[in-house]
Amino acid sequence: MNRALRSAAVRSLGIPIGAAAALLWSNLAAESYFRITQALAFAVNDIGMAFFFALLTQEVLEATMPGGTLHTWRRAALPIVAAVGGTAGAIGAYDLFVLAGDEHVLLGGWPIVCAIDGGVAYFLVRVLIGRGGAAPFVVLMAIVSNAIGLIAISLHQHSGQIGPRGPLLIVVGSAVTVWVTRLKLRAIWPQVVIGGTLMWFGFWWSGLHPALALIPIVPSLPRSPRRQSPFSAELEHGAHDSPGHIEHALWLPVQCILFLFAFVNAGVVAHGLERGAWAVTVGALVGRPAGTLIAVGVSLLCGLRLPPGVGWRQLVVISLATSCAFVFGLFFATAVFATGPVLTEAKVGALSTIGAVLIAVAVGWTLRATTSKA
Amino acid sequence: MKRVCTAALLFVAGALAGRAQEVALPNRPQSVKFAAIGDNGTGDSLEYDIGRQMAAHHSRFPFELVIMLGDNLYGSQTPQDFVKKFETPFRPLLDAGVRFYAALGNHDNQNEELRYPPFNMGGARYYTYARRNVRFFVIDSDLIDPQQLAWIETALTNSTDDWKICYFHHPLYSDGKTHGSQVDLRVTLEPLFVAHGVNVVFSGHDHVYERLKPQKGITYFVSGAGGQLRKGDVKRSDMTAAAFDQDCSFMLVEVSGDDLYFQAVSRNGASVDSGTVHRQPRP
Repeated sequence: MNRALRSAAVRSLGIPIGAAAALLWSNLAAESYFRITQALAFAVNDIGMAFFFALLTQEVLEATMPGGTLHTWRRAALPIVAAVGGTAGAIGAYDLFVLAGDEHVLLGGWPIVCAIDGGVAYFLVRVLIGRGGAAPFVVLMAIVSNAIGLIAISLHQHSGQIGPRGPLLIVVGSAVTVWVTRLKLRAIWPQVVIGGTLMWFGFWWSGLHPALALIPIVPSLPRSPRRQSPFSAELEHGAHDSPGHIEHALWLPVQCILFLFAFVNAGVVAHGLERGAWAVTVGALVGRPAGTLIAVGVSLLCGLRLPPGVGWRQLVVISLATSCAFVFGLFFATAVFATGPVLTEAKVGALSTIGAVLIAVAVGWTLRATTSKA
Repeated sequence: MKRVCTAALLFVAGALAGRAQEVALPNRPQSVKFAAIGDNGTGDSLEYDIGRQMAAHHSRFPFELVIMLGDNLYGSQTPQDFVKKFETPFRPLLDAGVRFYAALGNHDNQNEELRYPPFNMGGARYYTYARRNVRFFVIDSDLIDPQQLAWIETALTNSTDDWKICYFHHPLYSDGKTHGSQVDLRVTLEPLFVAHGVNVVFSGHDHVYERLKPQKGITYFVSGAGGQLRKGDVKRSDMTAAAFDQDCSFMLVEVSGDDLYFQAVSRNGASVDSGTVHRQPRP
């Protein structure tokens, strides 16, 4: 593992530490854990995560700029097809599993299996396959799959108070952000705080998930090409160090937010895997790899080409590495299900997809999928 | 005519099957009398046995309503299923005018059940109704969304009834090994129950009978063995007041003045628990 990757791994420790602390606490003193986390849930899930999605959007935009690591869009077709196929496979497997039983309340949970934990998938592919086309392939898959999930949860009615003031505030928030950006202030906070606050309430009153509220203002913020992939957890230097860049302002707060997110949402009392947990697990670990491989196979027959350094062995590892839903799965679960046992089942399912890491490692080792030294 | 014959046959069969059918309740004329069943909707012989026992007890203890604690129908929910898994086993009670009020469980399909007239849900996942000095609050514990939470608080606040009884599927307290206490749900609901003077809570989900020692002034019952049984599933703890996990069961309850009398009855008619809950003064 090279230095950058080690550094990224160390920086990403907040999430597993938060999740481990949550699991430990919730199973030792459940009542105090749930009392504290239910008090924190709104601030973390609906407000804090808005900064995470803003930063991720900025990283994606910068990576797709000329000079960015994902700029070569001619190669993007296959990962997009793979993402759509994998997501369709995951949703199909989830729905089939739910419909085979009688717990119809679970049917609304299909957006959960759209989730790919991009950080985990990127890290796994870098370690198991190495440099080459596999990492950008996985990043694009994660972006597309999670975007499908985000659109799906956005369509879920959030506040139940939909009126004209929500869309109006979104328009005003966008206009204010553009205007403040044109003032060319040194810091990024005025756009984020003023425009972001208006957008947040606009999303809330429109019935959209408010954690996505900062995404529309990100394109108006200053940016420069990004050479690290999104999800890499590696802090980009250069122009990104400027106070006027969102990464400079948000990188550290977002790491804290991700720790809190894992802590608040990963705590479940272990009673075994119930049907909802199985449905998420089957969707992610069976449906997604199958859908991904079928979609890629059909695409290759139709004339699309694999990126350099990626063959079928690597594709198998990629399809398994992208089966881990973890953080995004937890987020989608909290977005689609209200407090209660159904949400707990979905969370257990999202956590159990961490098993994809072990499977991917085992398969990667068995297939000798490494193409170059990392 | 056919219905009358069926009811008579079931009643006779119930009377023959029932070994004891002792009613350990005061059975006062003006009291509120009801039965509680949970996790019953299997359509198999266990549910039919419970239906017969309930019918047999109804002749001695004429309860006017049955609270259903969720998982009212397992598996498919076609019109034929409603007949097989609900109407036939409880036909004598339905014919006697007993009204059933259902809560949703994780196996229930709300698209089919909310507007099923015999469940009296009025198209709502959560609702409230009253009998004399007792108000019942029926909660959908599958998904406690902000709207439902606000409704619970408003409904409890607006109630001036002597007795406030909540029921829903997932137990806030349970010593069932399979599911156990739903602590996240407890943290959400219990403060409201305590603040607004809820007296008694009934749940199902764990396929056993259990009575918990009063928790923060509230008595909790788990009655989830109305058609399914997890034999030996209770792991007794400090909070267990009584438990029965050897056969299917249902409950009979009578509210009279400041006292609530309860009796848990097994599939063969034996009384497996009984007692009284005295209404505590409101905070």
